[in-house]
Amino acid sequence: MTLSVLRRGPVPRTPAAAGSKLLAWPLLGTLALLLAATLLAAQFGPVAISMADWLAPWRAAHDDGSAAFSGAAHVLWQIRLPRVIFALLVGAALALAGSLTQALFRNPLADPGLLGVTTGAACAAALTLVIFASAAAPLPPAWRPWVLPVAAFCGALLVCFSLDRIARWLTPGSIAGLLLTGLAINAVTAAVIGLATYLATDEQLRSLSFWTLGSLAGAGWSLVATMAVLLALLVPFACRLARPLNALALGEAAASHVGIAVPRLRGWVVLLVALSCGAAVAWCGVIGFLGLLAPHLARACVGADLRRQLPFSMLLGGALLLLADTLARTLAAPAEIPVGIFTALIGGPAFLLMLRAAVRQQGGSV
Amino acid sequence: MTTDWAERLPTDFAFAECREAWRMADAPQPPAAAGSALLTLQQVQLRQPGRSGASIGPFNLALQAGEHVAILGPSGAGKSTLLKLMAGERPPQQGELRFDGRTLAGWSPAALARRRAVLPQSHAVAFSLPVALVVGLGRVALDHDPALASVTGEALALAHAGHLTTRRFDTLSGGEQARVQLARVFAQLWDAQAGLLLVDEPLASLDPGLQFELLDAMQAFCRTRGHALVAVLHDINQALAGFERLWLLQQGRLMGDLPPNASALAPLENLYGIQLRSVPGEDGRLAVLARRRVA
Repeated sequence: MTLSVLRRGPVPRTPAAAGSKLLAWPLLGTLALLLAATLLAAQFGPVAISMADWLAPWRAAHDDGSAAFSGAAHVLWQIRLPRVIFALLVGAALALAGSLTQALFRNPLADPGLLGVTTGAACAAALTLVIFASAAAPLPPAWRPWVLPVAAFCGALLVCFSLDRIARWLTPGSIAGLLLTGLAINAVTAAVIGLATYLATDEQLRSLSFWTLGSLAGAGWSLVATMAVLLALLVPFACRLARPLNALALGEAAASHVGIAVPRLRGWVVLLVALSCGAAVAWCGVIGFLGLLAPHLARACVGADLRRQLPFSMLLGGALLLLADTLARTLAAPAEIPVGIFTALIGGPAFLLMLRAAVRQQGGSV
Repeated sequence: MTTDWAERLPTDFAFAECREAWRMADAPQPPAAAGSALLTLQQVQLRQPGRSGASIGPFNLALQAGEHVAILGPSGAGKSTLLKLMAGERPPQQGELRFDGRTLAGWSPAALARRRAVLPQSHAVAFSLPVALVVGLGRVALDHDPALASVTGEALALAHAGHLTTRRFDTLSGGEQARVQLARVFAQLWDAQAGLLLVDEPLASLDPGLQFELLDAMQAFCRTRGHALVAVLHDINQALAGFERLWLLQQGRLMGDLPPNASALAPLENLYGIQLRSVPGEDGRLAVLARRRVA
């Protein structure tokens, strides 16, 4: 409810007025909500957190006692807080990938997961894990953490480019054609993941199930920092593409007639989608439907202008993944449910609802 | 013209395009010969994929600056395809198109967008963008555009769509969408001079009253700025009333390049297979009444 009120308030009368001033209100409100959600999420969990644990860093600074970070304080500062922030960052990255994919294919039902980009990344990661595990051995130890992310990125990039080509060649401009192409790509990548599972040893199998279910359990401060740096690089660039991407909504021909170099724009967007998607998959596995839901909700709140929808859907994506992850680790505590199961359980029905809305709007056909 | 490092940095997408456009515009150009055409088509030919053997062209056409041309012809004659060729949307397999003395490929998209606008036949816009944003997108190639708000408003008013400013595009009726798209191309060429406007059946989904108003608006917009206008039309009388040349198209060939006077009657009758009777039109111009051809 509050979100729709935000939309009604400062509606810009002209595109020029959609500047930073009017963007600020919904953004600031959501940021405040996110901060509150972050603190609450860190509070919840199997280990009870007291006020003193929150103040542990300040106590440690004063009496330089190593005892300050013990027990619950350690859980809070070394396990829970990085995980909560990581959820926000990964959610934002997935929402960014979703928004860009939808803008690229001019279609609110496009999603990196449905189109096979996420599973493409997971497939490449799985292959690396099982088949090329020995190939990573001669690498310097410092490079090893990067092998999986790079593989996932390459997988996402490959699927993105082939999807772009195949869908435009086979079924130009058709929503159903695009989703069916994604279905075919998903089938192929699922087969490759299956092959990797078949060839895997017991230990590798455990890591593989992590890819296919999705989990944020690997979070730590170093991953948080890496993801933050990546997003800090990607987001300003993505926001600069928002204006030409708005023009792409007119259609490719019309966009080029108003002065957009469409092939170059497509190339950049594919690269950004592959980077954000590949990073999320490399460190968290397959978390589906978030890239579909977050942009959809953002569009309902602040409208379809990408200059506002893009930042807003990233905030919402972070919030959604935080919610899902908090549920995942508290509902069956101390055991943990993979978060990808939650997003799929919520996202699947939501997709069907959106599909129904799209069909009704277009008079019975997609 | 020197290029410094700042210009090579990957900056804002549209911004880089504009830089490129200025650099190209500043570069010494061979001066256009006196009286040279705004748009020329030389032996331009296109084979249509899907229609076996069907090709359109070759066309040899020259459009002078400020000229208003109507493209007429029966359905499937290749009117829209000719317009797409002229817009650079379909690259020709043979021949050469030049806009203002330079081949179309020699123009950067942003520089071309500041001189030439295209209004396509279909108005589909993905997502539910606000009307004001859709109109403003006509000026997306401009990096710094302080006049955007006022131009958007004036363009909408000129296209008789001022009351639609706060609506969302996907909630509009077909006729309203056509007006908003017209406002978009107005906004694109608002502060350009001697440009080119290509429109494909702009009045198809409008009621007769609006057809007159929008045709007048389009003509006035182009006259005051010296823009050339090329329009694919279905209504012979609209073409006769407001345009200086008629290009008659049949089966992908140019059948005639005529002034809109009595000499055009016989070719038009042959073109559509009908009989035309001339009636007195507004301010002395020719108007016709179409009738069945008697065998």
